[in-house]
Parts: sequence; C-alpha cells; structure tokens
Amino acid sequence: MTEQVTTKPADLASVPDAQVVKFMPRAEKSSDKPAEDEEVSLYEVRKKIHPRAVTGMFANMRWTFVFLTQALYYGLPWLQWNGRQAVLFDLVQRKFYIFGLVLWPQDVFYLAVILIISAFSLFLFTTVAGRLWCGYTCPQTVYTEIFMWVEQKIEGSRNQRIKLDGEPMSVRKFGLKAAKFSIWGAIAFWTGFTFVGYFTPIHVLGHEFFTWTLGPWETFWVFFYGLFTYMFAGHLREQVCLHMCPYARFQGVMFDPDTLVITYDVERGEPRGARKKGVEPASIGKGSCVDCEICVQVCPTGIDIRDGLQYQCIGCAACIDACDQVMDKMGYPRGLIRYSTEHAVKEHWGRKEVLGHIIRPRVLLYAALLGIIVAGLGWSLLTRVPLMVNIIRDRATLAREVEGGNVENVFRLQIMNTAEQRRKFVMTVGGMDGVSIATTTRFEIDPATTATEVLRVQAPADSGHRGSNPIYFEVRAEDNQDVFVHEKAVFIQP
Amino acid sequence: MQKLMSILWPSFLVAGIAEGIFFTLVDPQELLLFGEPVHLSRMAIYSLGFFAFWLICGASSLVTCYLRNTSDEVNHHPTHGHPGHA
Ligand code: SF4
Ligand code: SF4
Repeated sequence: MTEQVTTKPADLASVPDAQVVKFMPRAEKSSDKPAEDEEVSLYEVRKKIHPRAVTGMFANMRWTFVFLTQALYYGLPWLQWNGRQAVLFDLVQRKFYIFGLVLWPQDVFYLAVILIISAFSLFLFTTVAGRLWCGYTCPQTVYTEIFMWVEQKIEGSRNQRIKLDGEPMSVRKFGLKAAKFSIWGAIAFWTGFTFVGYFTPIHVLGHEFFTWTLGPWETFWVFFYGLFTYMFAGHLREQVCLHMCPYARFQGVMFDPDTLVITYDVERGEPRGARKKGVEPASIGKGSCVDCEICVQVCPTGIDIRDGLQYQCIGCAACIDACDQVMDKMGYPRGLIRYSTEHAVKEHWGRKEVLGHIIRPRVLLYAALLGIIVAGLGWSLLTRVPLMVNIIRDRATLAREVEGGNVENVFRLQIMNTAEQRRKFVMTVGGMDGVSIATTTRFEIDPATTATEVLRVQAPADSGHRGSNPIYFEVRAEDNQDVFVHEKAVFIQP
Repeated sequence: MQKLMSILWPSFLVAGIAEGIFFTLVDPQELLLFGEPVHLSRMAIYSLGFFAFWLICGASSLVTCYLRNTSDEVNHHPTHGHPGHA
C-alpha cells in the first residue's frame, strides 16, 4: 500500500504551525471539491467517498478474512469428493451434495435448521461484539475491500483519486479508468462463474465455457451475478449497507450496553484541537484528539465516529487503526478509538471488566439455544437412515379379485437410496393374514437414485374385513439391517 | 431513480426467498401450465420462475409506493409549491 497514515504525521515535526495535522478536508464539509465528485446514485445524491487506505492490526485481520472467505468461495466448487463435486447444489437433479451428505427435497427440514443456526450465530456475535459480520466477513465488505485495493493500485492514493476524478477526461484518465473497470470486470466475472458453479457442476461449466457451449441460462446467471458484484463492490459500496441491507436495519436491536462496539472516548478526546507533536494534552487544556480527521477519511461509510455510535458504522475498525497510528506519532497512548462498551466508557472499566461482562443472560440464552439446535441437528444427521420410501395406492386401479381367491391392490412404490453406494433392498409386507407381494421384492438401486415400481399386493378374500385394512411395508437394506424403513398403507377389501 | 430502487430491491429480496421456498416444495417438472406439462428444462423454469416472482413482488412494491404518495403530491396544490418527488 502506497498510502499509509504513518507517512503523514512525519511532517508534524517539520511544520511548526498548529494546523499541521489538517491533511484533507473531510468529504462532507469540503466546498472546494469539484462538482464532478457529486454523483446521482441509486439511492441519493451522494458525495463519492474516497476512503484513505489504512494499515494496522484490524486491517490485517480484515485481509485475513478476505483471503479465508475467498479461498473458500472460489476454491470449494473445485473440490472433489467420492468422484463428484464436494459441494454442489444440483438444481437440475434436485439434490444438494455437501461432502458426505446428500440432501433431497424431502430434507428441506435440514436446510431450514441450518438457516436457523446461521441466524442465531449472527445474533450471538452481534450481541457480543456488534457488527463483526459486517466488518470482516460480509461479501459486501470483502468485495469492496478487494475492489478498493484494485482502485488504489491503479489510480493511486486518496488524494490522487480525488484529483483524478476532478480532472476533465484525458487519455491518461481514460486509460486508468478503463484499466480499473476491466480488472473489476474480470473479478466480477470470475465471481459470477464460481457462483453458478455451485449449482451446475463447475468442471462441466468450465469445459462448456471454453468450448463456447455454455447454456443460455448458465450464461445469463454468470453475468447477472457478476454484474451485481461489480455494481455493489465497485459503485454502490456503502450505499448497500445504508439503504439495501436488511441486517443493517435490525442489528441495532441486538445491541445492549455491554456490546462491544467501536467507540470514541469522548472524555479523553475532547476538547479536540490541533497541536504540535509531543505536546501533553493537559498542558494546553485540550483532549487527546488532534482533529486530524484521518478517522473520517479512512471510513468506508464516510461518517465521523466521534459523533458517537451511528447505524451507518459497519464496525470495520479502520478508524481504530488510523487513530492508533496518529496516537503513536503524537506519543500518546493508543485506544482513543477502540472496541469498548457503553457501560465501560461510562464506568471507566478496564479490559478485565469489559471481558467479564461478555457473559450475561442474553448471551447465555443465545448460546444455549444455539447449542441445543446444533446438537439436535448433529444427532438427527448421525442417526439419519439413508433410505426413503413412498408408497401410494394406485387410484387408477380398483381393488380386484384375482385367481386363487385372492384380492389384489396396486400401489406405486418409490424407493430412494440416499446413500453413496449401490444397495440391495428387500421388501416385506405384513399386518393382515396371508398378505403377500406378487411382484418383485428385491431391488438394487444406484447411489443417490430413486427407483419407481408398481407393487401388486394380494391377500385372501376372507382376510381382514370389508373396506380399509391397515397394512405395513418394510424395506430393509441387505447389507445393513439397521437401514430400514417402516411404512404404513391401507389395503382395500371390496 | 430512488423510487425505482425502492421498488426493485425489496421485491428482488422477497422474490429470492419465495423462489427458494416454492421450488424446494415443488418440482418444476411436475408443474402444469394450462393443463399441459411445461416443456422447458428445470434450469429455465427456475429462472423464469424467479423473474415471475420478482415481477409480482415488484408490482406489490409499486402499489405501496403509489399509495404512499402524500396528499400534497396527489393534489398538486399550488400553494404548497412543487410536490417533492423524493
Ligand atoms: S450492512 Fe449489510 S451489506 Fe453492509 S456489511 Fe453489514 S451485512 Fe454486509
Ligand atoms: S466509523 Fe470506524 S468502524 Fe465505523 S465504519 Fe467508519 S471506519 Fe469503520
């Protein structure tokens, strides 16, 4: 990164004037900014925000998450498992593969539970430490981070970018913009391609792409998703968080006075003001804030954290890194902006008390619920029988008498072998005297496949009574007696 | 523009959810259109289904937006100056 906060305060020492720390006017206040900087965007007439790049502990953490999440996202579809794609939401075959697990439409329950678990985890994290999701892992944050990195590599630092945007179109400006847009486009395309690769086998997709045989809908969705990535990360950026994201609207209700949030220490910082390097705040009757506004310049949503907690703050901690570096240069202790809680600031708590208050009824409640649901899901997955059976009486055929004094009912049978190996199943019937199956009772079924059969069931005419008689079927795997399904049905005696 | 987004975006989100729920429960190959099975690939039905949902949800958002116009906007009252189309 070319532009770091650390390079700036170096001139603190050389310029004696009190105004040294005033680097750039903040976006909202500046009136000398060229008009081109104002753009009519999807949601509002907004000042384009040019966040200043930042380095530091939290920036590293953000980048770590960028790499982790993206390695996962781009890499996962290429992973193989048992000779197939490890994670594939096969919409065409209507089967979801997640490593060893194959989910069928009948398993929608599991998907619902997984969604509930995600929601509860989000509640838990938010209650403990605010918008961790937003700051580090939300795709919106991650792609914006990547796109901004590209922007900075091509167009230069914040000041250079502001200048460039103010310039009239020139060959140089056109070249820079074209380069930026093409690289953004390439990333967006790859993202869209990967996205579709979760739903159609990605190897096939790749092959089709290179031989120009990609289906129309696949092509459409690749570009549709790519376009969204491009717009969201390249142009809309903070507006997505401010106006489009539902989570941003309701995350506030999960906050309480013990939630860790990015906080500016008003007591310590105010009254703010510029001063020379190394001057003790107390000696000039000021607080620790040197009013350099670097915290505002780095903020991706363009707010001033010193005005207090705002719903626009996505908790990215960029302002912490920025402020810490200024504090270092000034020789003041770090942490004028830091992760803290409302209680902690009011009661002057130290780290220990803050951490001690993480465990509180609300957190315990969320954690307990989460634990129960996860355990339940785990248990139900472990004890899941990889076999599903559907038996419906064939309404088109009536119960009829056949030779040998028997009555026959016809059923439609569906056996779903949800295991990943070929299996043989044996079927039996019971529940009525002399009831038997006249068709085949042995089925060999391919992995993750459904077999559909017509089942003719016979019983002596004098068995049971007139009308419906309850019977049951049992389907059992030959190689494993524990894999069986018991299904109830009704046998009609005319 | 802002109005357009406030119609398109929420309906997009809801259409996504509706699509997910609908097609988990219903196999597109079992759908009947005017009593005839639909002769399209599943992929095509999913995609068209999504846009159908989007259209329906969008219509609902449109009506919401329309009914939310203030009385001033409806009256075009001259003494109140220009109605604010915000
Ligand atoms: S506000 Fe929404 S879009 Fe923005 S970072 Fe948070 S979760 Fe993501
Ligand atoms: S105020 Fe700080 S933590 Fe919040 S969004 Fe801005 S830079 Fe990030």
